[in-house]
Formats: sequence, C-alpha cells, structure tokens
Amino acid sequence: MWKVYKYTLIDLARNKFVLGWTLLLLAISLGLFQLEDQPVKAMLSLSQVLLALVPLVASVFTIVYLYDAMEFTELLAVQPLRRSKILGGQMAALGTALVLGALVGTGIPLMLFLPGGASLTLILACVMLTLVFVAIGSLIAIKNREKARGVGLGLVVWFLFVLVYDAVLLWVMFAFSDYPIEPWIVPLAALDPIDLGRIMVLLKVDLAAMMGYSGAVYEKFFGNVRGILVALLALGAWVALPSAFAFRAFRRKDL
Amino acid sequence: MSRVTFENVGKKYGKLWALREFSARFEPGETVSVIGPNGSGKTTMIKCLLGLVRSSTGTITVNGEHVGPDPEYRHHVGHMPQISRFPNELKIGQLIDLMDDIRGSNKGRSEGALVKELGVVDMMDKRLGTLSGGQRQKVSAVHAFRYSPSVLVLDEPTAGLDPLSSQIVLQAVRNIKREGCTVLITSHLMEEVEALADRVAYLQDGTLRFLLPPEDLLAVTGEKRLSKAIPAMLTTKTAAHVESL
Repeated sequence: MWKVYKYTLIDLARNKFVLGWTLLLLAISLGLFQLEDQPVKAMLSLSQVLLALVPLVASVFTIVYLYDAMEFTELLAVQPLRRSKILGGQMAALGTALVLGALVGTGIPLMLFLPGGASLTLILACVMLTLVFVAIGSLIAIKNREKARGVGLGLVVWFLFVLVYDAVLLWVMFAFSDYPIEPWIVPLAALDPIDLGRIMVLLKVDLAAMMGYSGAVYEKFFGNVRGILVALLALGAWVALPSAFAFRAFRRKDL
Repeated sequence: MSRVTFENVGKKYGKLWALREFSARFEPGETVSVIGPNGSGKTTMIKCLLGLVRSSTGTITVNGEHVGPDPEYRHHVGHMPQISRFPNELKIGQLIDLMDDIRGSNKGRSEGALVKELGVVDMMDKRLGTLSGGQRQKVSAVHAFRYSPSVLVLDEPTAGLDPLSSQIVLQAVRNIKREGCTVLITSHLMEEVEALADRVAYLQDGTLRFLLPPEDLLAVTGEKRLSKAIPAMLTTKTAAHVESL
C-alpha cells in the first residue's frame, strides 16, 4: 500500500488543482482575517466557508482524480498487488494531499491570528471532513462507471449534507417542538458529518445560545470533552463506513 | 503442463454474455493471436486472464495457479494495454521505480528489455503527462517485457508506434517467445498475425470459433493469405469443417 501511496502522493504534490486549492484557502483565510476587526468574527466567517467548501472540494476532486486514474489503476491491478492495497494507497494519498492543503491554507492563518481551542477545533473539523468526503467520493467513483454521473452524484450528496439535511432537521425540530424529541436530536445531527463539524466549532466559540433550542441540546451533549470525543468518533465512523463499502466494491469491481 | 488454461470460462455483464464456454490451452513458447470483430469477447477474455474482471463461470490457471483474488500469479504475467495512461505528474523514471518496487526488482532504471532500444532511457526525467500516445506505448512496452514474464499479454501492441519501434517490439516478442514465454496478442493487423502467430484464436459473439495454426487455416480454405483465409473460415461450409477439426 505504501508504494502506491508514495507515488500517488508525488503525483498529487505536483497537481495544479491541489496547489490552487491550498492557495485559495490561504487567500480566503488571510483575506477574512484582514477584513474583520475581531479575529473571532473572521474565524466564524471562515468556518462557514470551510464547512461548505472543504466537503465539496474533497468529494469532487477525489471522484475526478479516481476516474482520471482509471487506466493507471488497471495497470496496478495487473501487478502482483492486492486491490485493497491499490485503493488504500490512493485514498490515503488523496486524504494526505487535501489535508495538507487545508492545514497550510487555513491552519497557518488560524494559528497566527487566533491561536487557541476554537481554531484547533475548526482545523480538526476540516481535517475530519476532508477524510470523510474523500471516503464518500471514493465510494461514489468506484460504484459508478461514468465520470459525469459520479461527479453529479458527488454534488447531490454534498448538497444534501450541506443544506437539505439541515433544513429537514430544522423543520422536524420546529414541527415536533411540543414533543420530547430531545433524545433524537443528537443522533439525527450525527447523521450529517457537516453538521457535526459545525456543532463542534460553534460550541467552541460559545455561540450555542444563538442556535436556540437545538443549541441548548447540543451544548448539553457536546459541550464537554466526552461530547467532543463522541463527535470525533461519529466522524471517524463517517470515514470508516464509506471506506469499508468502497474497499468491498473495489475488490469485486470489473475493471 | 499447459502454461495457461481456460476451462468453460464465461463472463456475463447484466444479461449479456460477453464470453461463453471459452476453453483453451496455451503452451510455453507459443504465440497465439486472438482476433475477432469488435465486441467479440477478446478484451473480456484477456481481462479475465489478467484478473481485471471476474469470470462468471469456469476456471483459469496460469502456471497451474488459479486466477483469483490472490495476486501472486501476476508475478509471471506481463501486460501491454492498447491505451496507456499514467499519472500526469510522475516522471517515467519514477513510474519504473514504482513498478520495480511492486515486483521486487533490483534492476536499474536503464536496465532491462527495450529500455534502450525504444529510447526510453533518454526520457527518464520526462513527465508522463507530456508524453505523446506513441511514447506512452513505449513506456507500456518496457513494463510489459521488463520482468521476464512467462505469460505476456499484448493488446494491439504496435498501435500508435512508429514503424521502427513496431519492429523492435515485434522482435522482442520473437525473442521472449524463444525463451519459453507464452504470448497472447490481440491485433487487427493481419501482417502481424502472420508474422508472429503459432495459432490463431477467432472469437465471435463471445464464442471461440476456431483455434488453429495459420498453416491449417490456409490449408482448409485454400487461400494464400490469412487476411482472406479468416473470412473464408467463417462461411457456413468451412465453419462446419472447422468445428469438425
């Protein structure tokens, strides 16, 4: 696996899109910190941008890269190499490249302008969301033969997580506010990795109060170390499950 | 023991059988040209052998090892695809290093068959994304021959190559065959088939119509060239004759 990882990473290190993505993140981060008077406000604006953009770029780039590498994947698949090692190497390299891009593009400005727990949480959320959407993107690329269909599906999944699911969850909370739905809110939030990232960040900047009823529920559950660990575990499951399905599909796939 | 065996191999995509009840044995030191119209099952048959697709029925062996999830048998297999695409940003030398790592080879980059003959030795620092189609084919040929395979699968090996490079690759096929390698070639060029093949396998609609030496094909049809003998084999009268062979 490490052989494939190493050379895929060399390829990705010179990839113009990855470099462009890193520079774009750097420009957005530095721009927001320059424009806002208070670093906390800049960080909140940045979190809104990152929590939407990071999943989008991670999933679409993964899908496009894996489709474009299909002939090379075939070349690897006719070598004495298990398929799990091929996919593992490619996914690990994609994750590493995009995580490094996020760390350089946002981690450095955040640590420079607002060092502390909130920035670290945002960086951690970005890292986890990158890995989650690399896993989801890989699964989509493996399960669909056509590139256009794969990219379209990636966009749909992103849209569902970034907007639709949130809207549905809000509607459910509003519609059933007279009922004791509190125990259901946290598990329902955990079904959306972007929501999990958002909750982790907002709780760290003490903005749960602005989230109303749901904020109070999240504060109660996630507002301590145990809650953060549970959120990280849930995000870990969001990496592990699509990855496991992707490996299973790739082992059986006709190339 | 035969080098490669296919026993009732079939492959179904959805409701379509791309290959059905394909049985054949390929011996050490022989070159077999696999021909047939588009969609006849050639690529499916080759992909089954390479483990790129899983056959729906039957078994395949290479050197007595079953073709399945265990990739070890591929240590003995070389493959040159018709279309080669590599990671754009890697250099040729790095790709050779990767393949050497996977194969556990200690060869230097400039060592091995065809590296010098095809001029790949002078392109080691070139990015793969900047190569022309012909240059990519040369890199692909280098990989196919590099690890002294006992089974070599070539898919349209001279497509996109200049005449001189084509001759070098064809000569390399003759050389490796002399060393006992079993070579399977798909080609639409009858000159290549005539020049290299010890036997010709003709597939149509996923079925093996015949697997015969070129001399037999010429004798059965009374033709002097394979390009005429093969269509003649497919006429009703001769087809019945062939099935009786």
